[in-house]
Amino acid sequence: MAQALLNGVISGLLIALPAIALSLGYGVLNFANFSIGAMITCGAYLAYWINTSLGAPMLLAAPFAAIGLAAIAIAIQHGVYRKIEDGGHVTMLVASMGVAFVLENAVRLVYGADVRMLDVPVARPISWNGLRLNHEQLLIVVTASLALGAVNLLLKCTQIGRAMRAIADDPELAEVRGISRRRTIDATWAVSGSLTAMAGMLIALDGVVEPLMGWNYLVSIFAAAVLGGIGKPLGAFAGALIIGLAEETSALLVSTTYRQGISFVALILVLLLRPQGLFGKARIRG
Amino acid sequence: MIDYLIAILTFVAVGTLLGFALNVQWGQAGMLNFGLPGFFGIGAYAAAILSKHGVDGFTATAAAVALTAAVSALVSFVTIGLREDCLAISTVAFAEVVRLVLMNETWLTGGTNGIRDIPRPLLDVIGSNHYEAAFLAACLAIVAIVYGLLELVLRAPFGRALRAAREDDIVTATLGKNVQVLRIKAFVIGGAVIGLAGALHAFYFTYIDPGQFAGSVMIYALMAVIIGGKGSNRGLLAGACMVMMLLEGTRFLKEFIPILGSQQAASLRLMLIGGGLLLTLILRPQGLVSEYRLSIREHADPAAPPRREHRMDSA
Repeated sequence: MAQALLNGVISGLLIALPAIALSLGYGVLNFANFSIGAMITCGAYLAYWINTSLGAPMLLAAPFAAIGLAAIAIAIQHGVYRKIEDGGHVTMLVASMGVAFVLENAVRLVYGADVRMLDVPVARPISWNGLRLNHEQLLIVVTASLALGAVNLLLKCTQIGRAMRAIADDPELAEVRGISRRRTIDATWAVSGSLTAMAGMLIALDGVVEPLMGWNYLVSIFAAAVLGGIGKPLGAFAGALIIGLAEETSALLVSTTYRQGISFVALILVLLLRPQGLFGKARIRG
Repeated sequence: MIDYLIAILTFVAVGTLLGFALNVQWGQAGMLNFGLPGFFGIGAYAAAILSKHGVDGFTATAAAVALTAAVSALVSFVTIGLREDCLAISTVAFAEVVRLVLMNETWLTGGTNGIRDIPRPLLDVIGSNHYEAAFLAACLAIVAIVYGLLELVLRAPFGRALRAAREDDIVTATLGKNVQVLRIKAFVIGGAVIGLAGALHAFYFTYIDPGQFAGSVMIYALMAVIIGGKGSNRGLLAGACMVMMLLEGTRFLKEFIPILGSQQAASLRLMLIGGGLLLTLILRPQGLVSEYRLSIREHADPAAPPRREHRMDSA
């Protein structure tokens, strides 16, 4: 049980990164980004490429993959999303499905469908009072916590972070106050790209690199973001922890193959009973 | 060559049915069903499993349609209050769960190995020589019938009420229409058509596995609907043909770019399809054909311009 709780926290931290990216994007851009799974995959493959083809250690590959994916995300914003803004949030959502398809198949085009592993040294897991924690999981905890701290700082203490929150809150008011929407959106994509790349690398460290790796997390990510009140990045963090714990502890009862099913049930329940998220206040729909 | 044409046309027919379904659910009712591959899988597996157990093809098809419609009713009943993007999220999650069940309940679905040698209906009557052609004829007849029925339904007051609810549910509800029931009905009609397409898919390929019911089906159907013009069934026929032309046309990529392996060529094709979807959204979001409207209203009521014109104004 204690082991399940520990695993739950770890997988929650893992889900938290893309869930925050999704929530942030939803707040600022006002659409549900279905390409988040494909972005995770892309980030993992970028890291894989730097790690194995260029032979750089993961510590070096990580920042480059994050920057690379951030650049790709901004390019997609300029090439696709910005051109169809007028079509409304559903058009953008459909477009993000198309983007996901393109990204995923681009990865397949270059690397095929084979399962790959990052080139990292294997180490014995750490044991403490019967709990097991392997080095990859430790790395997940450290990296995810650092990234979450950084995002929190960015949102609370920097100008661009305040701009993001202002636009998420009320885009017109923010614009009147002289906040540049375009620049803030670009910054949001940069943050989303870095976070998802980070998540991709951590998932790859803990398992394998394959074209569907991100897609398999999609339901959990959406469930976490919705649970925390979609559009609220810090809520998404709490939502991710709950989803992670729910998925891992439920493994004691149902087969682990259905962990996404748990997320699905959580997602539906929250959407039906508390569409504003667990921590949000009820608001009149405008 | 004839065999190739027959195969493609059969494929187009099944794809057109999926497009019709999405057109009712999304185009007409404004319910974006991203879980279409899941429903498609339910229909195909229902038909396949039943006919493997000795049920005849027609009963199996009817059962597949009924089951898919019933699941659609359940899904839409649960999600009816959700906004369009939340519905999209929920249906994607639903399709993922369906895929997990198909992959893991090996006793029922054969797991990742899928189901082989699905018996084809009326094979002993028609004979295997002309079976493919006869199957195509049946598919085309079904497409024609479904098209006719959908047009009837959508031009009836039901269809108008549905579109009214899509544009503004509060006004429609104030006018005494039960918006939720309208939407559930539309979702179920779409679901039934998806189930039918699933059954045809299973009988045509005689082999199904969970991988066939993944995201790419969704992209094809979305693209057919968007190219054709959201809401227009006539446009959809054109859209489905164009998607197929793009799919088949790019099949020859491998011969032009010999360095590509067959798997890479397949990925490149799918990339081009996704790119095509994005390009359509950017360049011609309204599609080829605008949706059906009463012609008198189009001239007499400038206060309620169709969505298309609104776009042109703002451009």
